[in-house]
Amino acid sequence: MKGAVIAFVSVVLVLLACGFRSQAGPQNPAVGQKTSAAPSSKATLPKEGERRFQANCGRCHNPPDSLSPREVKAVLQHMRVRAMLSAEDEQLILKYLAP
Amino acid sequence: MRGAKPEAVIAKILLLALPAALSGPSAVRGQSDTPILSGGVQFVGTSNAGAVFYQPVIEPVLVVPVGDHWLFETRAGFQGFIARENGTTGPYQAQFFRSLDYAQIDYIANSHFTITAGRFLTPFNIYNERLGPVWLRNLQDGPIILPIGTRTSSSSNGFMLRGVAVEREKWQLNYTAYFSTLSTTDYLQAGRAAGGRVGIFFPFAGVELGASYQRFLQNGDYNNSGMYLAWQPPSIPFDTRFEYAHSPGGHGYWLESAYRFAGDRRSMAGLGRLQAVARVQQFFKGVATPQDFLPAADTNRLDFGLNYYLPHDVRLNGSYGRQFSSTGNANIWNFQITYRFLFPAWPGGSK
Repeated sequence: MKGAVIAFVSVVLVLLACGFRSQAGPQNPAVGQKTSAAPSSKATLPKEGERRFQANCGRCHNPPDSLSPREVKAVLQHMRVRAMLSAEDEQLILKYLAP
Repeated sequence: MRGAKPEAVIAKILLLALPAALSGPSAVRGQSDTPILSGGVQFVGTSNAGAVFYQPVIEPVLVVPVGDHWLFETRAGFQGFIARENGTTGPYQAQFFRSLDYAQIDYIANSHFTITAGRFLTPFNIYNERLGPVWLRNLQDGPIILPIGTRTSSSSNGFMLRGVAVEREKWQLNYTAYFSTLSTTDYLQAGRAAGGRVGIFFPFAGVELGASYQRFLQNGDYNNSGMYLAWQPPSIPFDTRFEYAHSPGGHGYWLESAYRFAGDRRSMAGLGRLQAVARVQQFFKGVATPQDFLPAADTNRLDFGLNYYLPHDVRLNGSYGRQFSSTGNANIWNFQITYRFLFPAWPGGSK
């Protein structure tokens, strides 16, 4: 009985997740946009940096309140190891967090 | 590979990585290195089957970058445990514990290779490395299956190689390989083991799935294996994480979902501060092994929690869990306040 209850809750959680996915609209303008691996325009860098932050760092936490570029650099080196950020991710997120 | 010593295999991997290290690009140039002090502070009140206890926790992290390629990082844990002498009766008594979770030197060669030496968190599945810090986890109690693959102390002493093996616009393949030696030294306990993890991440869908393997090279040598799935759809603040792990001592899974009542994960307006969390776990007992830190019998558990995010990285959390086991059912309540801090390790570093 207990196993059945737990299995039922698991199924409900998965179904809820699928439902949210199908009902949700594109609230984040970055979603669904095709972005090149190497952004060419300077104007696109902050948006691309934000997208990279959300795709990588934002999976576990929000950005810190405020950081200087030097602090951001140290944090990003830390996260290159922890979250396996690429060098390009690091540069773009740096420009987003400390423009 | 059979018959080869794990040390020899690791040495070969490190030698192969050296040429790439020498040609690695510099990521961020022209800025001085600023060490940072970060981490989390937490106070938890728990009622577990009627036994009430309190745990103040501080986990400071020191990060010292040296140039563009070298990094020293360490995290310690200081935890108090304040409980009644006989569980539910008697005067309160306090005990304090210290731990060194990691103290490692990293050489970031490029996106494909990072070489780590020292003491590091054992990279088995995702909970131990990514969700372990007190300010990151959605529910205070770790999963039942957490000891699988992370014996003996959740940390390893040795070498690790990690990075993104293949990076494409729509997907990334990441990997980790490591070897750990046995240590029984106080605060540096580790098991002798070798293993690795492979994951594939689809950034536009917010999906990552992967698998872990570990060969535990002591207490009779045995295999641990696991798999994981994480899904954070970019368009809604909904998170789902799943892990399965198997060892001779037993196998099981946990599935956790969290939903923030806002259109954006960073929203701090109205109900946007509130996040609901639910987790389901099942553990099936295998052959009992001494000090495997796993339950003595089949165990099922359900948890429900609410997180409330305050400004300045402060978070309140309350959760209720119900555990079912042949050794006894229990209600588990947790209430906690958590603060995440981050500042330069010395004055003037924030300029």
